[in-house]
This record gives sequence, C-alpha cells and structure tokens, in this order.
Amino acid sequence: MLRLPAVGRALAGAAHSKGCLTASSNVRTSVRASSNLVEVFVDGKPVMVEPGTTVLQACEKVGVQIPRFCYHERLSVAGNCRMCLLEIERAPKVMCSHNYSTLDCSSCRPWKGIFGHPVAACAMPVMKGWNILTNSEKTRKAREGVMEFLLANHPLDCPICDQGGECDLQDQSMMFGSDRSRFTEGKRAVEDKNIGPLIKTIMTRCIQCTRCVRFASEIAGVEDLGTTGRGNSMQIGTYVEKMFMSELSGNVIDVCPVGALTSKPYAFTSRPWETRKTESIDVLDAVGSNIVVSTRGGEVMRILPRLNEDVNEEWISDKTRFAYDGLKRQRLTQPMVKDASGQLVPTNWEDALMRIAAMLQGVKGSEIAAIAGGMVDAESLIALKDMLNKLDSEALCTEELFPMAGAGTDLRSNYLLNTRIAGIEECDLLLLIGTNPRYEAPLFNARVRKSWLHNELQVALVGHDVDLSYSYNHLGDSTQVLKDLATGKHPYCQVLAQAKRPVVVVGSSCLQRADGAAILSAVSTIAQNARVSSGVEEGWKVLNVLHRVASQVAALDVGYKPGVEAIRKNPPKMLFLLGADAGCITRADLPKDSFIIYQGHHGDVGALMADVILPGAAYTEKNGTYVNTEGRAQQTRVAVTPPGMAREDWKIIRAVSETPHVGVTLPYDTLEEVRDRLAEVAPNLVRYDDVEEANYFKQANELSQAVNQSLLADPLVPPQLSVKDFYMTDPISRASQTMAKCVKAVTEGAEAVEEPAIC
Amino acid sequence: MNRFKRADSFASHSSAMASSVARGAVKAVKPIFSRDVDEAKRRVRELYRAWYREVPNTVAMYQLDITVRQGRDKVREIFNKNKHVTDPRVIDMLVIKGKMELQETIHIWKQKTHVMRYFHETENPCPNDFLSKFYHGHEP
Amino acid sequence: MLSCVGCPVLSRVLSSGASRVPAVAASRVPAASTSLNAGSSVALVRYNTTAQQEKPKKTKFGPLADQDRIFTNLYGRHDWRLKGALSRGDWYKTKEILEKGVDWILNEIKVSGLRGRGGAGFPTGMKWGFMNKPSDGRPKYLVVNADEGEPGTCKDREIMRHDPHKLVEGCLVAGRAMGARAAYIYIRGEFYNESSNLQVAINEAYGAGLIGKNACGSGYDFDVFVMRGAGAYICGEETALIESIEGKQGKPRLKPPFPADVGVFGCPTTVANVETVSVAPTICRRGGTWFASFGRERNSGTKLFNISGHVNNPCTVEEEMSIPIKELIERHAGGVRGGWDNLLCVIPGGSSTPLIPRHVCDDVMMDFDALIQAQTGLGTAALIVMDKSTDVIRAIARLIEFYKHESCGQCTPCREGVDWMNKMMWRFVKGDARAAEIDMIWELSKQIEGHTICALGDGAAWPVQGLIRHFRPIMESRIADFQQKQQARA
Repeated sequence: MLRLPAVGRALAGAAHSKGCLTASSNVRTSVRASSNLVEVFVDGKPVMVEPGTTVLQACEKVGVQIPRFCYHERLSVAGNCRMCLLEIERAPKVMCSHNYSTLDCSSCRPWKGIFGHPVAACAMPVMKGWNILTNSEKTRKAREGVMEFLLANHPLDCPICDQGGECDLQDQSMMFGSDRSRFTEGKRAVEDKNIGPLIKTIMTRCIQCTRCVRFASEIAGVEDLGTTGRGNSMQIGTYVEKMFMSELSGNVIDVCPVGALTSKPYAFTSRPWETRKTESIDVLDAVGSNIVVSTRGGEVMRILPRLNEDVNEEWISDKTRFAYDGLKRQRLTQPMVKDASGQLVPTNWEDALMRIAAMLQGVKGSEIAAIAGGMVDAESLIALKDMLNKLDSEALCTEELFPMAGAGTDLRSNYLLNTRIAGIEECDLLLLIGTNPRYEAPLFNARVRKSWLHNELQVALVGHDVDLSYSYNHLGDSTQVLKDLATGKHPYCQVLAQAKRPVVVVGSSCLQRADGAAILSAVSTIAQNARVSSGVEEGWKVLNVLHRVASQVAALDVGYKPGVEAIRKNPPKMLFLLGADAGCITRADLPKDSFIIYQGHHGDVGALMADVILPGAAYTEKNGTYVNTEGRAQQTRVAVTPPGMAREDWKIIRAVSETPHVGVTLPYDTLEEVRDRLAEVAPNLVRYDDVEEANYFKQANELSQAVNQSLLADPLVPPQLSVKDFYMTDPISRASQTMAKCVKAVTEGAEAVEEPAIC
Repeated sequence: MNRFKRADSFASHSSAMASSVARGAVKAVKPIFSRDVDEAKRRVRELYRAWYREVPNTVAMYQLDITVRQGRDKVREIFNKNKHVTDPRVIDMLVIKGKMELQETIHIWKQKTHVMRYFHETENPCPNDFLSKFYHGHEP
Repeated sequence: MLSCVGCPVLSRVLSSGASRVPAVAASRVPAASTSLNAGSSVALVRYNTTAQQEKPKKTKFGPLADQDRIFTNLYGRHDWRLKGALSRGDWYKTKEILEKGVDWILNEIKVSGLRGRGGAGFPTGMKWGFMNKPSDGRPKYLVVNADEGEPGTCKDREIMRHDPHKLVEGCLVAGRAMGARAAYIYIRGEFYNESSNLQVAINEAYGAGLIGKNACGSGYDFDVFVMRGAGAYICGEETALIESIEGKQGKPRLKPPFPADVGVFGCPTTVANVETVSVAPTICRRGGTWFASFGRERNSGTKLFNISGHVNNPCTVEEEMSIPIKELIERHAGGVRGGWDNLLCVIPGGSSTPLIPRHVCDDVMMDFDALIQAQTGLGTAALIVMDKSTDVIRAIARLIEFYKHESCGQCTPCREGVDWMNKMMWRFVKGDARAAEIDMIWELSKQIEGHTICALGDGAAWPVQGLIRHFRPIMESRIADFQQKQQARA
C-alpha cells in the first residue's frame, strides 16, 4: 500500500519516506513549509533552499542539470540508477542524522559522500553548508562508471530503435560516458513481453530504472507492472502474461528513458527530427489535455503530451495518444449530395452549396434547426448560430442534455467544473455522483488519485460501483441516497459536515436522465449544505459538473440549448448537423421530406442520414477554440491541412451563408474576425488558457428549489463502466484501428490481437 | 566577343556619366544617370535597339518556337507597357533592369522557360473574395 | 575506557568464585548478584580512576576463561529450553534490570564498549540511544537480524539453536533500552530448526510471563514475533530486511531516512544482530566494565568466532576480542591442515572481507581496528582458512558468483558490475585474459564500491580487491600459462 497510515504520515514531520520526498515538492498543499532556509553551495555558488530539498533540486535551482535515469519529478524517488552521483564537500562540522558529528558513524553508509564516496543527488537531502561539486573529477568518474555499467548490457541497436534521437541514454552517454568500450563479455538478452496493443516492449534495452513500475503503481493506480528476478536477471514485467490494463498506459512510453517501452502504432514510422511539432489541444474528452501533434508530410505521426500543470500535468490518456490513426480513416474528403436514386455522390463545393441554397428557398426560418456535436469548435458554433439567427431560426441545440429547470444553463456556475482540476489537490473530501471519472475524464481521475495518495483526500461515490484506481466510500447507487444526503438523513452527512474543503462532482451523464433536474437540484442542495457546514472561504467552489465532450461548455456559453428535445417536439424541414454523431436524432424523428445537412469530418452516424455532406476539418487540422469542463478556453492549431476538399468548419458555414438565395452573408472573413465576434458574445472564449470564474451558487441553489420534479428509482449508472467502454466513444476513436485493437485486447486478451511479425 | 565589348563600354560610359552628373547637379533630387527626360529617352532608345538586334540571336540560341517577328513584337509590347512613365529616375531604373535582362539573355544565363515567360504568365491571380478563396482551396 | 579496568577485576573474582560451584543451577544466584552490584560499583571504582590509569595496558588477549563465557550452551550439550536456560542464569532478575530504567541499561551498554556484531561494528550503545528521542506517537520497534547468510558465518545459528532464551531475553532488555513496543526477529528461511526452537522459547517465555503483557512483572509490555525470510542474502541488509518484513521485495531502501526515523511500517526501528542482542542481558547482569575488560580499547568484549576451511577442527567458539589470529586457529581449530606453514590466506570476517595472506596472519589480531589496518575487516568474525592446495582465484571467483546471484538488481553498479566481474573472474580462473585486465577489474571493483545503495556492492568488490592486492603474481602467471598453452596448440 502506497498510502502511508494516517498517523505515520501526520507525524513523519521532517522525516521523509520514499513517497514523501516527492510529495513535498510536487503536491500542492495548503500548508506552506516554514521559511527557515538553509544555505548550500553548488560548485561554490551559494543558494538558499528549503530544508529537505534534495541535492538534485538544489542544483536545478541554480540551473545545473544533473544526469539521471530513474529520477522523475512526478514519481517517487527510487535512487537506483546511480547516474546522479555527486561529490559533496562537507562543511567543517557536519552532523549526520544520528546527531553524530565524527567521522566514524559507520552506520550512515550512504553518507560516505562525506567521507569521500559520492552521494545520489536525487535522494539525498541537503545539509547546511554543503558544497555540491557537479563537475569534479570524482563526480565525473562516478558518472562515467555508472554509464559504462548501464551500457554493458544495453544493446547497440540505436539505428533500429524507435527511441533514437530522443533517448536519455543516448544523450547522456554522449555527454557523460566514456569514448570507448571495455566490455568484451557476452551481452544479456531478455524476452520481450506482450503487454497489449499499445506498448511495444524490447526488454533487452531496459535499464531497470523502474520508472514505469512507479508510474503504474503511483499515477495510474494499477499494480500491473513490477520486477521479477534478482540481480542481473531482474526483469520488468507483468508477473504473469497479461495486458498492462490502464487508461493511462501510454505514458510509460514517455517515462521510459530508453527504447524498452515504445509505441506500437508508431513503431518504425518516423524519427523525431523528421517531424514537425504543433502545440495543440485534445478534444476527445472534456478535459482538454494539452498535446503536441507530430506531423510529417501532411500526416499525423503521433501525439505526445504537453506540460500544463493546471490541466493534464504531463500525462495524457490512451485515447488521446493513440486514436490519431482514426484521423486517417473514414474521412469525408469531398462534398456529397444525394442524387435522384437516393445515393450520395461526390460533387464539388459549388454544387453542394447550390443544393443547400435551393433547399433553403423553400423553408421558413422557423423550419430550420441545427444540432451541434461533441467535437465542434467555438468558431463554427458561433458561425452556425449567427447564420441560423439571421435566417430567423432559434432552434440550435447540442447533443448533450442538461436540465433546464431551475437556473438551467443561465448561470454558468451550474455547468462547470468550478473547483478546477488542480483544485482537487486542495480539497479534503470529494463526493462523486453518477460518474466514472476514470473513463470519462482519465486525467481528472489521475488528479484525484494524486490527491488521495499524497493529501489524504477522502472520496465517496454515489452511483454504480466502479473501479476508480483508489479506494472510496461507496454510498450506494440509488437516488434515495441523494435524497437522504440532501435532507441530511444519510449517516455520511456527518462526514460531509466535517470536511474543511468539500467538493461535489456530478457526472454530466446522470443529469441527462428524465429526472436530471431533480438530481441537479439535490446535488446543488448537498453542495450548498456542505459549503455552509465547512465554513470555507467565499472563493472555494463546491458544486462541479464533469462533462464528457469537448464542445459542450463552449456551446452553452455561446447560447445553444442543451438537448434535442425541442427538435423532437417540433421537427424541422431542414436540419443542420454540425458534427453530430451521437445519434440523438434519427430519420424516424423527422418528417419524410426533411432535408438534412451533415457537416463533419468522419463518415459516422450523422453522415449516414444526410442529404448533403459537407466535409469539415478534424481538431488537428484547424485553429479552433475549445472550452474544457473547467471553463478554460484553449485553442487547437493547424498541424496538417484538411484532407481532400475538406475545409475548416467555420468557413464552410460562412460560405453557405454567402451563397445566393441564402443571402445572409456573415460579417467575418478571417479567423480574427470570427474571434472578435466570439468575444462579443462570450469574452471568456477568447481569453485563452484562462478560466473565467462563475459564482452564483447560492442563487442557482435557490432557483433549483423551485424544481418540482421527483427522483426516479433507477440506479445511477454512468455509461462507461469498464475499460472496454473507454476506447471508442466518438467518431475519431471509432474510426481508429488501434482503439479497436484495444477493445479486442481487453475483452479477449492481449494475445488475441494480431501483430505484424516485425514488431 | 563583340557583344562583350559592347557591354563593357556601356558600363564604363555610364559610370563616367554618373559621376559627371553628380558633380553638375543642383537639383534636390539626385539623378541616377539622366539629367532630363530627353536624355532618359535616348537611353531607352539605345536599349530598345539593343534588344531589337538581339531578338534573332535569342530565337536561334534558345531554339524558341517563335518567329523573330513575334519576338520583336513582344519587345515592343513590353517597352510600351511602361510608356506612361515620365520620371527620368524611374526610366533610368527600368533601363537598368532592361539591361540586366538583356545581359542574362545574351549570356544564356537564362533557360528557355525563362525567356518564354515573356509570352505566357504561369501564375494565376490569387482570388480575393471569401467565396472564391473558399472554392479555390486552402488559404495561401 | 581504561578507567574502568579495575571493575572487571572485582567482578571476575566474584563471579569466578561462583562458577566454580559444580552445580550449574547454583551458579545463578551469585553470578547474577555480582552483576547487579557491579552496576552500583561503577561509581565506586571510578572514584579512583587516576590511580588506575597507571596500570599497564593489557597486552595479552585470550584465551577466554570458562567463567567469562556468555554463551554457555554453544554446543548444545545442555537443555536449551526454559528450564535449562534458567539453570544457566538466563532470565535471572530481568525484572530488576528492566526496572533500573532506560538510562541505566544504555549506560551499561555504552560502558561495555559493545560494537555491533553484524559486521559494520557500530557502537551499540550509541545506536540504541538514537531511539530515545521524544516520542511522536508512533510505536518503536526492535528488529533482530537473524538472516545469517554470509558464507562462512554460523554464529547466530548456534545461538538460536542452543540458547534461544538468551536472544529472547536480549530482545526484552534491548527493547526496553530503546522503548520498543515489540521485537521482530527476522530469521533466515533455511533455519528451520532454529526458528522452531526460537518459537518454542518464545512460547515458553510468554507462558512464564517473561514477555508479553507486563513482561517479567515489570509493568512493561513487550511482544516478540518471529518472521521467517525466504533465504535471500540481501535480506540481511537492514533496510532490505525491513522491506521484507513489510511483505515487499527485499530490496534495500535509500538512506536517509534511516530506520531510526522511518523503519518497519514507517515507525522508528533499530535493526540489531542476534549476537549483539543476546549479549545485552549478560552485560547488564555482570556489568559493562566486565565486558569492557576483554579485548583492546574500542574493540572490547567477547565474540563468537567461526573457523572454517582448511583447519583440522572447524568450530564456532567464543573468544576474547583481539586474540591473535594464529592463536585462535591453533588453539581452537586444531591448526591449519598441514601446519601453519601450509597456510595460504585467511578471509577473516566472512566472505565479503578481503583476504589476508599468511605473512599478515602471523601477527594480526582479531578485532575491528587491527583488521582495518591490515586492509580487511572483522565483519562477522567468520574465518575462512585456505591452505596452499587452494586455487585462490577460483575461490574468489566462486564468492563473486555468489554475490552475483544474490545481488538484488536494484541499482546499476551492483547489478551490472558484479555480473561483469563474475564473468571476468571465471576467465581469470582459466587464465583466459590479458594481464591488463587485472587493472581493469580492479577499476571495475572501484566503480562499484561506494556507488551503490547498500553494502552488497562493496562486499562483492572487496574480495576481488584483496585477491589482486595479495595474489597478483599468481593471476599473471596463470594468464601466461594459458597463453603458452594456446600458442602450443596453435
């Protein structure tokens, strides 16, 4: 168990356990360390650091990079690669932790640095007056020695290794290694392991740094990886032949300092120096993970995470990382129009737009409606809304439902993750309602786990009993529990009342039930009660909604109506589907002669029922604004051009608006002008990387009291229960072969997936 | 050989000219070569003559699929394109450019396609309204 | 230290008188009473320290008189159970010792000059004293390292087999000294009989109310648990042992934090060797000064020596510290096979210490400081004697193979380096190497030494260094022979 017993943790004080070392540096805690700094020297340069800082961190503070393999700032300290060995010059009088100041404290073996042996910088806390020598003769010798040992059994297959060019071992051996080899014995070989369709293992290359093991057990929360065997026959593996089953598994590829764990889909496709990197945003869930899109020659080669402490730290989920091959399949590349025989035939833009214009002539504004899907950018949302409004239509909906009774979407605080993702690290009690964050928002879940691990966060769940990678208090899955919690009758209310900084998170899926408004009302009351009893300061947010799709918050901000109920009640003659692929509306819901326009990038559910298809751009192909579930506006950037005749989405709408007979030309021609328009409607949408606060909880709660809907008896079951529900949730991941392999692997076992022999 | 000499004499002549002009100039604007329009016109005529004589050579050397007549018409056309220019400094500048073109043509520094560009424009004009840009494809 | 020399004389006189009484049971009372008096007599003796100082330094060490032996049932000739242990003086007035308090016990241990018997030789009194920081609410634990796996060492085995009550009582006394809530005895998995004897002894002690709630009626609660390992050498390293007790892989932890801050189950812990713990009650009974009267200054006490290898009579024997190695071998082990002149070398402190050749053995003393001076170490005081019939390169190669097999694989220098050295050593055995590779393996051993998390890397590096230091000519001639043979074949 990684989580230390409460008593030990609370009282450990200055004593660091393995986990504590990182915890102090990495996890936000409300208690700040006292500011009695100690002075140490790095190559003679003085620097003031907090007590308990490691030698490596002190060096980093003055800008000296210490070579390392096993140390990773987000993982616990292992200290086993020994690459960071440094010589320490002691101050005249040094007390070891035994309060023993003479030289014969022989039980302090690692302190031999003081006696002439180097110390491991990643694990050694600094002592007052130490002079850390980062480039002395002894330090260099130690590094060279360790490097020689690491390379002894490492295969020299850099030319065929996928890590080549971004390999820590390669780089550091150039910097710190010897220029010749003395190793003449035979090299060790290790059998490769099949740990699933995402991660390729070449275990002979492994240097046993155990970063992947620590990642799996600490961040991902699965104890799948571990070491077996001893000494030189030690191996990293899954103990028994099985798949590394985690929604964050791809991150071990980044964490691995050598080419032992590489990406299977990316294998042998490109080299890092050949690719162009574009900083962008992921839209496959509502977290808005920051990513880097690597492209080569108009093709997305891979997706890597980008550091953003407030959102995804430096991790991304497997769907984000590996669904990119879906961008090359099932794409709509040409406009299509249904011909007389009812077949969709490819055509050119002019014809497709003319067809729409012709159809528009015959309908009144009130007979036009639009549905926006889950991956639509704010620019096309505003363009579509402006166009329909000009045509005298107000029927603009999103696929995702949100209860409109009470305050509904009028108060922004009602539909945001107000606490923010990073805010989870500051709370002490988390109540999850009707959600499975592990698969709906893997990085939010990773943040919860981090806080659970390091900050003693208590978690409780109302809803289906799911595996969340941390332990929680399961309060039941019936709506009765919610009612009891709201009225204060439930025994857990006492725990809730004691929380200092409570957070309540409700899943967007459970608000889409028939009794969504009643659930929101109950949750709002629970949150309000918790807030009052905790006496937390005004700025602290309690109520949170966790969304599942990337476009929802922006759509609600712009003024779309949540849910397609209005359209179902009042079927339009002309329906515009903007990337709507969830299948909320079918042909059966509409009159026979209604005309459906589908605009999107994949030939998925929506395109099947369309009369005209307008090919749009996917998130890697356009500059788009997305607002994540926290209300944080971020933008994607063009990494590759849209395939074939596909165009950026807002431009398509702009073009439709200009065609003759439509005659409602939108007043913007460039992206900047669209964003100016966005700023007029909702200024927060163009304040990138910023979260606009929403603050009307009390009013929202008061309004929600007016809801007189009763809770249904059905249990609260989120749509994604197990890992197999995670991989394919949207048009891109449904088109991805890799994701299909994942589903097959988790249902039938990793060996069921056939791999090319070359891997 | 002959042509080289001619080119050299052009150069020496003009540089000597330039310095004398600089000395004698009293106007605020410094002339490039010509003190007045007449002198500039003389230079244009000289250049035109040089081109006119060069056309048969060019057609032969580059194995162009045009007649000499067509070539001379094109020369005339290109000279006429700038006939509205009256500022001697601008005329001088155009003459200099014309001389450079001529020299490149004479020395076969060009290739056939470069010469033929006088006859056919390969680049299409960029669309500038939204819809035609949209039909055309991606924005440049 | 010297100032207390007077005291042991007094106590020895008294105790020797007592032990002359033939009935062993009868010896209990006087022997113990002197020891308890000895505590109070310390002050009396110290009073005239200046007079004592002139006393000549002790120059002759060993042999140990029978009445000064702590482990009186080392060879299992008597009953090892509670009854027999009581008859040998164990558990006598333990309550009084406990009631004298923490400071008194610690002081006795400090005065005795006892140094850890597990190999590192850290002053025990000081180590136990680290535990006496003000409590922060966490319980403290004593962990007894009975994972005796060092090749050549077999002292703890004898204690647990034949005198388990010494250990159990030692746990109680040591536990009291550091305010520990319980003791975990981590015993090597292969020691099946020993662990069952020990468990029987613990059960007996619980039954007699000697440990458990209100141990010995002192009002102090103390539990003793036996935990069997699975037979990994590395689990004898203190932090690996802690990991193993916690149910994890036995891989050494990083220090700091030291076990005294964060040990077993995250609580302050002291890890002590079986022998160290077992001698504590006797020291308390007979007085620290009595114990300090043996051996040289800073190396005081009695010690169990294991003598194995090419001697006529391999044995485990309790002897005075600082006894000359030659005397130890000749007196107790019946001398080297074929006479002293047939001696090639001795590994003096278990397999991880560098060997010393015969000329060094002639006059070196068996204690911490003398052996350090001889560029080796006392370690666990397990002598491995090799006569001239030994292929010393092969002997060391076999040791390195052991270390290669037992390396935990956690940190790089040990995992990769020891394997590398092992491969080279077996080539040296054949002579299939270049002479320059002798320097290279020396360098490799230096690259391992001091660069690892635990001391196993050092322990693997030192035998090689000892071999090269003293037997380089043999290695070179082996290489030359091999090359000659190769040339002849070609």
